[in-house]
Amino acid sequence: MHHSKAHIWFVWPAIILMIVILILPIFLAGGISFTNYNLGNSSFEWVGTENYEKMFSRKTYIKMIISTATYVLIVVPVSVVLGLVAAIMLNSLRFGADIYKTIFFLPVMATLLAMAIAWEFTLHPTLGIINSFLANGCGGIREFILGFHWLPWVSSEDSWYSVACANNMDFPYWLKDKKTAIWTICFIGVWQAFGFNMVLYLAGLTSIPRELYHAAEMDGAQSTWEQFKLVTWPMLGPTTLFVVTITTIRSFQVFDTIEILTKGGPAKTTYVMMYAIFEKAIQQNITSIGAAITVVFIIFIILLTFFQRYVIEKRVHY
Amino acid sequence: MGTISLKNINKSFGSTEVLKQLSLDIQDGEFLTLVGPSGCGKSTLLKIIAGLEQQNSGDVIIDDKNVNSTRASKRDLAMVFQSYALYPHLTVRKNLETPLKLRDYSFVERLPLIGNFVPSRKEKKKSIDDLVFKTSETLKITELLDRKPGQLSGGQRQRAALGRAMVREPVAFLMDEPLSNLDAALRVHMRSELSELHNSLKTTFIYVTHDQAEALTMSTRMAVMIDGELLQLDTPSEVYNNPSSLRVAEFVGSPKINTFAAQISSDGSVEFMGIKLERKFNTNSQKALVAVRPEHLEITKDSNKPAFEATVSYRENLGSDIFYHVQVDQSDSKIIVRGSPQAGLFSNGETVRISPSHAEAMLFETSGERIR
Repeated sequence: MHHSKAHIWFVWPAIILMIVILILPIFLAGGISFTNYNLGNSSFEWVGTENYEKMFSRKTYIKMIISTATYVLIVVPVSVVLGLVAAIMLNSLRFGADIYKTIFFLPVMATLLAMAIAWEFTLHPTLGIINSFLANGCGGIREFILGFHWLPWVSSEDSWYSVACANNMDFPYWLKDKKTAIWTICFIGVWQAFGFNMVLYLAGLTSIPRELYHAAEMDGAQSTWEQFKLVTWPMLGPTTLFVVTITTIRSFQVFDTIEILTKGGPAKTTYVMMYAIFEKAIQQNITSIGAAITVVFIIFIILLTFFQRYVIEKRVHY
Repeated sequence: MGTISLKNINKSFGSTEVLKQLSLDIQDGEFLTLVGPSGCGKSTLLKIIAGLEQQNSGDVIIDDKNVNSTRASKRDLAMVFQSYALYPHLTVRKNLETPLKLRDYSFVERLPLIGNFVPSRKEKKKSIDDLVFKTSETLKITELLDRKPGQLSGGQRQRAALGRAMVREPVAFLMDEPLSNLDAALRVHMRSELSELHNSLKTTFIYVTHDQAEALTMSTRMAVMIDGELLQLDTPSEVYNNPSSLRVAEFVGSPKINTFAAQISSDGSVEFMGIKLERKFNTNSQKALVAVRPEHLEITKDSNKPAFEATVSYRENLGSDIFYHVQVDQSDSKIIVRGSPQAGLFSNGETVRISPSHAEAMLFETSGERIR
């Protein structure tokens, strides 16, 4: 057989582009993370692992890891489960499914930046619609429902709602309070992400053959739960894998809402990785630290990819 | 026991009537085939029996019990689907276990992990394993038990689907064109296997097919359905030799039966294509249709027999038989005649004489009813 070198000519533009755009910057970031280089400096010195030591000893960076992990571990499971539940419910609707699809999908299509500004107004402690809604509901049905007075172990005097009403409408400050800020950000993250997951699950659901449900029914799977366990969930395996992967990566990348709403605060409780990279490398111009965070970020993503590739993929049936 | 009877079943999808006042009695242990062209409502009827589809009116009675409001999983029937509908993420073994587990295990025993600690589960697991093994031996799929459906060939999948229906002992088996996804040779082979299976299980089989060959070869009785109506219910040979209407005669039999316009004189003698039938018929009609199956026409050069002239337009050689498509000279109709290779070959364009063999012609009204 004649060995032609033509294939090299076809491949090299792609390889060169990949090296220049992807591989090289990663190694560059890796290199810079071992120096004290700042953008604009004419020289630099090797500082070894000092940047990494800082990262794992200073409280700020510990908080960065904690807030990123919190965000990812809340947003991924909640938005995936909500997306699945919404998709299954919409799939069983005869009328009006399109309206709900639009409602749930709107946050995905809208610019997160603009949405974040809208949320800022909504969540404002004194002017926001949420807190005024809560304040107007003191002593009424809203207090009963949202204060969890319907749960037998919650007394109607000690619930968070009653206490806030009694203390001159002292409702949560949402984004301004270090106890609630990260959860509020997570809530917005879920609100924004689950519509996308829902659409993916809807597509997955339509590809399940109806005959499988018939077979399950003939085999004696009577409850919806049995049919879900026997047919729906396994058949959605590939969709779930994709949804989880993409949501995880997007959650790691959360930036817009943080930048608009909290700037990493209060007390660094919402100081997620992407925002840390931005703040250190761009705003404070400490390129080396930014590079070190980036490397840790890349390692997280690589670990995640390996986990997906070698652990989950084996359990998914295509 | 496995008697099923349907009483005045009506079903429509929107404004389309699919089943019209259909009644049918299925006896215990019989192999009943529902046969008809695509879209005649036979699969819908099967789903109504299974409970997967709800009839608009009429009754489904299984073992003398009205099951109209009983859901599919409680009717104790087993079904083999056209696409097999095996659970693709489970091994064949697990596929076979599923119907047993869902029916025999209690809710607690089915729970993952916790179920393992319920003492009664062990015993049940043992009997399930035995049943699965026994079934897989009958169907010769023992070595496939640990494979997933995606790793099986069409025929093996078909067996696995049969196995899933067979592991428990249902009142009746419902089969929805189970052989239509197999290649021709395997289909012929599976026909005999299914017949043997029916003989050994002695359970009621209800088998839906559009292939009249399957219906003719396997069934004890066949129900011919066209356009949502049951036209004839009888043994295969009776349906073939003695069809009740022209539509049945045209549907059953391959190649299709030949029809000729015929004149009836006042004394009841029938004449078509210049040939007089020996039998006399008792009818008031003057015009009718004579239908003759291809094997009851003889292609010849012999000019002594009563015959009509035709030109061979196409020769179909199947080895054991040869079918000649011939153009009738006096009219523009085409008919099909069976010849045997021993009688010599006729080539395209050759002028031949076609003669009907003795007393095999059937007479139908122009509207399609049989004249006897």
